[in-house]
Amino acid sequence: MAEIATNSRPEDGTRQGAGIRALLEEPSVARGVFWSLLGVAALLTVLRPWLPDGLVRIPEALLMPWRDWIDAAFDFVAFDLGLIHVTRFLSGILEFVLDAVANILYGRARWPRFEALPWTVVASVAAITGYALGGWRLSLLAGGTFVWAAVIGQWKWTMETMSVILVAAPLGFTIGLLIGIWCWKSKRVEETVKPLLLVLQVLPFFSYLLPAVIFFKVGPTAATVATVAYSLPPMILMTTLGLKKVSPEVVEAGKMAGCSRWQMLRYVYLPSARTEILVGLNQVIMLCLAMVVLTAAIGMPGLGAKLLEAMGSFKLGRSFEIGITIVLLAVVLDRLSKAWVVKQPEHFEKGTPWWKRNIFPIMGVAAFVILYLVARGVAEMDPMPFDEVSFPSWLVGIMDEVHRKESLSQGREFDASIKAFLSLDWVNAITYAIRYVVNVYFLIPTEKALLYLPTPAVIFVITAIAYRIGGVIPGILALIFFSIVAQLGYWDRAMLTLHSVFMATFIALLLGVPMAIYSVRKEKRAKFMILLCDTFQTFPSYVYLLPAVMLFGISPVTVIISILIYTMVPVIRYTVEGLRNVPPELTEAADMSGATRWQKLTKVQLPLALPTMAVGLNQALVFAFFMVIIAEFIGTRDLGQEMRRTLAGTNLGWNFVLGFSVVFMALTFDIAINAWAEKRRKLLGLD
Amino acid sequence: MKTKLIMSAAAMALASATASFAADDSADPIIIPIHNWSSQIVMSHAVGQIFESMGNNVEFVTTDSQAVYESVRLGDVTLELEVWEGAFGQSFRTALEKGGLHDAGDHNAVTREDWWYPMWTKDACPGLPSWEALNDCAALFATAETGDKGRYLDGPVDWLKHGKERVEALGMDFVVVNAGSAAALWAEIAAAEADKRPVVVFNWTPNFAEAVWPGEFVEFPAWEDGCDTDPSKGPNPDALYDCGNPADGYLKKAAWDGMKDKWPNAYDVLTKISFTNAQIAEMARLVDIEEMEPEEAAEEWLSANEDVWKGWLPEGAS
Amino acid sequence: MTDAPVISCRNVWKLFGPNPKQYLAQMSPGRSYEDIRADGYIAGVKDVSLDVGRGEMLVIMGLSGSGKSTLVRCLSRLHDITGGAIEVEGQDIMALPEKELIELRRSKMGMVFQSFGLLPHRTVLENVAFPLEMRGQDRHTRRERALEVINLVGLDGREDYFPRELSGGQQQRVGIARSLAIEPDIWFLDEPFSALDPLIRREMQDEFLRLQEMLGKTIVFITHDFDEALRLADRIAIMKDGAVEQCDTPDKIVLDPQTPYVRKFTEEIEKARVVHANVLAGPVNGAVIEGEAIPGHMTIQQLARQLVNDPRDILPVADKSGKVTGVMPRQKALDILLGDAANG
Repeated sequence: MAEIATNSRPEDGTRQGAGIRALLEEPSVARGVFWSLLGVAALLTVLRPWLPDGLVRIPEALLMPWRDWIDAAFDFVAFDLGLIHVTRFLSGILEFVLDAVANILYGRARWPRFEALPWTVVASVAAITGYALGGWRLSLLAGGTFVWAAVIGQWKWTMETMSVILVAAPLGFTIGLLIGIWCWKSKRVEETVKPLLLVLQVLPFFSYLLPAVIFFKVGPTAATVATVAYSLPPMILMTTLGLKKVSPEVVEAGKMAGCSRWQMLRYVYLPSARTEILVGLNQVIMLCLAMVVLTAAIGMPGLGAKLLEAMGSFKLGRSFEIGITIVLLAVVLDRLSKAWVVKQPEHFEKGTPWWKRNIFPIMGVAAFVILYLVARGVAEMDPMPFDEVSFPSWLVGIMDEVHRKESLSQGREFDASIKAFLSLDWVNAITYAIRYVVNVYFLIPTEKALLYLPTPAVIFVITAIAYRIGGVIPGILALIFFSIVAQLGYWDRAMLTLHSVFMATFIALLLGVPMAIYSVRKEKRAKFMILLCDTFQTFPSYVYLLPAVMLFGISPVTVIISILIYTMVPVIRYTVEGLRNVPPELTEAADMSGATRWQKLTKVQLPLALPTMAVGLNQALVFAFFMVIIAEFIGTRDLGQEMRRTLAGTNLGWNFVLGFSVVFMALTFDIAINAWAEKRRKLLGLD
Repeated sequence: MKTKLIMSAAAMALASATASFAADDSADPIIIPIHNWSSQIVMSHAVGQIFESMGNNVEFVTTDSQAVYESVRLGDVTLELEVWEGAFGQSFRTALEKGGLHDAGDHNAVTREDWWYPMWTKDACPGLPSWEALNDCAALFATAETGDKGRYLDGPVDWLKHGKERVEALGMDFVVVNAGSAAALWAEIAAAEADKRPVVVFNWTPNFAEAVWPGEFVEFPAWEDGCDTDPSKGPNPDALYDCGNPADGYLKKAAWDGMKDKWPNAYDVLTKISFTNAQIAEMARLVDIEEMEPEEAAEEWLSANEDVWKGWLPEGAS
Repeated sequence: MTDAPVISCRNVWKLFGPNPKQYLAQMSPGRSYEDIRADGYIAGVKDVSLDVGRGEMLVIMGLSGSGKSTLVRCLSRLHDITGGAIEVEGQDIMALPEKELIELRRSKMGMVFQSFGLLPHRTVLENVAFPLEMRGQDRHTRRERALEVINLVGLDGREDYFPRELSGGQQQRVGIARSLAIEPDIWFLDEPFSALDPLIRREMQDEFLRLQEMLGKTIVFITHDFDEALRLADRIAIMKDGAVEQCDTPDKIVLDPQTPYVRKFTEEIEKARVVHANVLAGPVNGAVIEGEAIPGHMTIQQLARQLVNDPRDILPVADKSGKVTGVMPRQKALDILLGDAANG
């Protein structure tokens, strides 16, 4: 008894708030609150025909003039406080770097004013680098990608894209790493940065457009800034995570070795967190390339712009080829950078000649010089008219530049085959049936139902769910956030957005989880699945939007499908990850208890994988909120469509009102799901 | 290699030209925005090459076709060559009010943006192009989602078409669905083409689609001034937007206010530049049908139409 | 052990909790571990005073949570202590600025960890050379020195392996080599063999004794294994709840456990294996010395056969040089060998 008394002593002094919180977390109370919230919501719904209008939707008169306030605040910060001068100064520096890289890669008329590199030079240097870092496979991949870009007739665009990526990716990596380290050093910084990152991630792309253009000047600079902003969050999170996971003994070993603080970071922490940092790097590269197309709207040159152009004149084959190039670039950059980080310095025997120790740099320089001279020098000395050009000089010419008529692009043939495919009766019949059934019996009724619900009913249901799964704080935040969404004044559009997000995520779970479970049975299959996820993540979504439109028309099904492709990726990836990481002794224990495969899956593997899967679900929701706005490209009636309207007439305030409607919805789910996963993980003693 | 030759010819022309008149244009590059439809891209390149032949430096930047006006206003982009009345009028006017850019004159081209159908539609609904006939065949245009009503696929919302209002004003049996982009419109037409399904969609001229899918605009009650502001105009006395769109919308050029002082010669040329529907369609054709790169198409067009553009150059330039 | 102690602790406290310094300052003396815990603090180290002499091997023994790891981390100032003073070679280590502390670790201290604490991205050679690299030695000399210690721990030929490619025993050899690379004067070993299989553990202990014979370092060795402590130690400090229960030579601990807690450990131990003859010997005091003396540095168990068969009641005990230093009643030795008559 005495011990119990002393143990409970600290609680006497705690604040009342915590007491209420503890009370609300009591399971029985929680159940009661949950059901009564749902009950109120149900009552409101049933009574809707008799409810005053003010309870169904917030009356216009009660909405605040958010637009004007945001406009005023923006003008004040940007122009009166002069933030624009700071950002313009920074973009001046950035522009100088971008221009220099652009000059080297494709001869942009800026300092240092070299001529464009012949493609043979770039491809062979890439191949040699690949070989030096990762053997002949990587060599083939790196060299092959650039050969592909050249012979398919996309050389200049590829170099234009690369000129931005080669600046944006290292910048994103470095800034992410530094902020990540800072977050790890200081709890307070971490607590400020984390929500900001979340907002950065879920703020719709259309909200970046105007500020990026105004603050950083339309062109590669704005594109770089937007790309970096998008690629930062995973880099920061992974860096912090990796540093936190470094084993204390390794840290102590470093200290006992007499490391200074800098040495600790450089030689002990960062190398030990390498796995996580590499994942961050991979994400930076993937996201940079995923942004290639979107940022074309704010001045990103190269492949993205050409892709949009090809789609504007309906050249599907061309756009598909460009999509392949983008994926290839992503894969090459990812593999090269990983190989470079993993690469161990070689030990040479004493007395190894200088050339042998530096064989790869020498080969690279040699290939560079020889091919450069052949392609450039000889080409200039031999100004023969195009039509009578001799074979050798044609060959030399083609080593410099592959012209349009010489390229191997199969765009037209591709277009023809797509059209042929679409005119097949059975294809039409199937797509029509899917479209009909899904739209008429599933999407349209659920959408109507969601729109029918009175605003407070929706808010209560969401609050109840957030409270039930996440706890008190997520519940309160859900209540606040959704009330803000209602107050921002685009409730119906917000509900349409939410509907698409829910449906896409729901179907993603329905399809993705079984696929992941199936693939995990064999290691090879699981690896293939992950590769597939990487590919779909970088393949520009625009490319499959059009065929989707051709198959399913401009209808909700098409929108859902285009979101679905993105949401499946995290669902599958994290389910695979979660299932693979179930400790083998537990599955063995299940086997020895005589569990059937199904029992083992449902009773052992899935419960343990669930916290990881929740992270995947969360990512899927975030991706869905991102994609649903992009799907505006097809034709939607949600917030995305309205956002597009704000671009006409550059309505910044209006744009942000819509953008924040998306942000607050996304934050609600993110917070609730993370809170649940955290609780669950603690319960299971994982981590 | 052909490109190279032409380039060097241009460079030579440039050298002689520089001596004669371009002394007072800034050496900073003139930034020309390009968007995602072919005529605008080729036109931008053609104008860029004209500027280059005068000794100016030119650079291109890809941008969103709405947000670009903010950039022109700030001087990050020097000009805009295709301001469509219907699609970009609003962004243009907003920027104009905020200040920083101005109207640099109209093209000779007239634009038309309205309901449109590909020719095969007429086989199913022979009364076309009259809008009443279209309304009578509304059921032909039904889709899985629209029930008995026909579906009209309108342009992206930011082009600020008033399809919905018109359907209501004229009492048509149509549901208006907005496509999100031009590309989505093309995809629908292409899908319909496969089985010759009737469709009615938003379209405009000049535009590459005319060459790929022959078609016609639906004839609505003719536009009267004030049809969008005064309910009494048009057949329905109680509604706005009860007319077709104007069949002769403007196609403008816009310039940054600072252009005049920084590149006076180029600015002078810009104000004179004026393309016709046929010329614009030809530019688009070179890219869309001939599959040329925009740069090549611009060269090709310039060399075939010297009489058109040489006249815009300052005195003594050629 | 003639000169001043290498490490000297005086009333060292290490408390964990919200505001330990302040708490310790106003704490009334004599509060127990439980009392302190009730106040919301954990006493990792509780009022510990002990010395380690030059060349001595002090083994700190305790069960998990007894504070032994915390204590050794205080000695190397991986933890800052809450109260008391620790001197290493006469320097108060708490007063050292960061730079000098780093210098001290770079030149005088080596440490071996229970789960090895190897840097996973470095080869054996690079791991061993790590402390040398940190103090800025050039590549060539550090490679040479690293290879030397790698040979010493018997890992020659494995220098280009990564830690993950080695067995646990081999990994710990790397850990030992690394800690020896800088030729430390003071060697901390935190349960170095606990993560190893019993057979390997035994082998590593032998190896360790061999090394110590060669190197003669001042050692603080942590273990939770009483047998290991008895086998290795010059002196053993037994810890419980952050405090040292008893600090003595193995013989004395076995013969004369001073707290019930220590007694519990010793009960299971076969004392004859631990106790040496010279510990049982009393002064000669005019007793008649007859016959051959027995060697005092041997354990009773080693002498068992002789003790049982010897007819004498009083046995002379000699040191290593053969000089008689005392006499031992045979019955006393037999009691230890066979158990007390009372317990019999």
